Amino acid sequence: MHSFQAHTSDVEIRLSAPSLAELFAEAGLALAEVTWGCPELPPAGASGEVVSLAAPDRDALLVDWLNELIYRGERDRRLFTKFAMEKVTERDLVARAYGAEVPELRTLVKAATFHRLRIEETTGGVAATVILDV
Amino acid sequence: MEGITSETGELREVAPFVYELPAGARPGMRVPARVFADAVLLAQIARDRSLEQLINVTTLPGIWHAALGMPDMHEGYGFPVGGVAATLLPDGVISPGGIGFDINCGVRLLVSELTQAELAPSLEALVHEMSRSVPAGFGRGGRLALTHAELDRVLVEGCAFVVRELGLGAPEDLPFIESGGRLAGADAAEVSERARRRGADQLGTLGGGNHFLEVQVVEAIFDPAAARALGLRAGQVTVLVHTGSRGLGHQVCTDWVRVMDRAMARYGIVVPDRQLACAPLSSPEGRGYFAAMCAAANFGWANRQAITHRVRQAFERFFGGRGGLRLAYDVAHNTAKIERFGERTLCVHRKGATRAFGPSHPETPPAYRDVGQPVLIPGSMGTASFVLVGTDAGSALSLASTCHGAGRAMSRGDAKRLVAGHQLRAELAARGIVVRCPSNLELAEEAPVAYKDVDRVVDVVHQAGLARKVARLRPLGVVKG
Repeated sequence: MHSFQAHTSDVEIRLSAPSLAELFAEAGLALAEVTWGCPELPPAGASGEVVSLAAPDRDALLVDWLNELIYRGERDRRLFTKFAMEKVTERDLVARAYGAEVPELRTLVKAATFHRLRIEETTGGVAATVILDV
Repeated sequence: MEGITSETGELREVAPFVYELPAGARPGMRVPARVFADAVLLAQIARDRSLEQLINVTTLPGIWHAALGMPDMHEGYGFPVGGVAATLLPDGVISPGGIGFDINCGVRLLVSELTQAELAPSLEALVHEMSRSVPAGFGRGGRLALTHAELDRVLVEGCAFVVRELGLGAPEDLPFIESGGRLAGADAAEVSERARRRGADQLGTLGGGNHFLEVQVVEAIFDPAAARALGLRAGQVTVLVHTGSRGLGHQVCTDWVRVMDRAMARYGIVVPDRQLACAPLSSPEGRGYFAAMCAAANFGWANRQAITHRVRQAFERFFGGRGGLRLAYDVAHNTAKIERFGERTLCVHRKGATRAFGPSHPETPPAYRDVGQPVLIPGSMGTASFVLVGTDAGSALSLASTCHGAGRAMSRGDAKRLVAGHQLRAELAARGIVVRCPSNLELAEEAPVAYKDVDRVVDVVHQAGLARKVARLRPLGVVKG
């Protein structure tokens, strides 16, 4: 699940999920909701695109993952709303992102940031806070 | 001596409108954290994490003088928005987080000879035409499709290329743009293919968020001599353009934060916030980022120049020869620049802050040498904007820097909960302000209540001696990005 916290100028997302892979998928959904402007997201197309990333640690991997989706979304006018996480470790990610072409998006997300980024183990799995520049 | 206690500790008033946390108050601080504010603004600033962020900035290797918070300071990421920090070269660092993702977001002021009375009958249609002429919104491409080679030239030559080769504006515009609309340190080879693709069709586009075009009238003159020098008089119609380097700049920052994050350990640099990732400017990473950042800044100036061309065309369609728009000045808000202060060469990071050179600085345009470099402070939508001029005293006080706007005081979510967009639209209409904005929700996000009081912010700037008030501009029409 995800929720949005007050931030003076940007968007702070709180994420929680049973596993790291599901946390990353949830982060993708939260990004889509920010960009689309409401939780009811348009359905994803049938064919996904592969995302493969490597980073020095899982915090950097989460930032890279979100920035990859932001870049591809802006480049192709595409909103990614469904994710099949094939592999997520502390340093590597392979996933398939499914999206829909959209004529208009509500919020321009410039990037995901490291600021106050935390990924923590919890009793229910994993939780994270991440701030997007909008 | 008045003090204020906040989550981040006690700031002491060390001079009128100057509050300071001394170096040594927190582990790792290399210089003081200093905020320009009055008690009301300081209380607003203390409500979010901006002071904590400013203290983080004081730990940057090579930082000189102080980490400075402008009166519009608010929470951002890495640096606070409204944060200024200089590092001493050749060993000091450069941090992409000290500039932000919207590289060379900035403002330019265009001045017409029209009066409000002449404009009034055409205002609604003119604002509509401006909204049609300048694409706004998310990732919205424009009408200028550049070849790879043309984009290279924009990145290296900035405004001069789009003026001379694409016919967007006149050569007479160039001296009235900060740095002549071109940072010489740019290297297109340091701009990634991703950044190019993200920005390739965005030249001449406004983008979203708080970017805007605003038609205004000069409502009040505070300094008649300076206003004359700037060609401003009461009742005159002006246009303010607020945007930056769009997706290209965002991607440049993304790319280089990633590079710096992975390079810091090599230089033995530890920062309290990973978004402050940095490297010595003299290092390959530092030089690479600086060259890419300069290129993105040049794209930002070219973008405002292309938009200016569209706005001028719109004015000319309505008013013919009477509709000419003279460029008064263009300032950048998010940059790092190499500047001389006395015997020192510094890398001055300004994030949500405006350069403000005084009359005697060689980079102040010759036409403004008697008064100082113009400083343009847009207020929140529906309030007012200000024209100021830099002071020579500001060089020592604030590294020749001042605020960049009113500064947010409330999150977008809180603004939407507090303000009904349709009511705000009706209120603005009742005050004669024409608004073009795609949705009421987006309008509510930028409601005046979400911002600090721009009159108070500008008064602090003026009274602290960072810049001098010249004129107040009242909005007549707004195209929101």
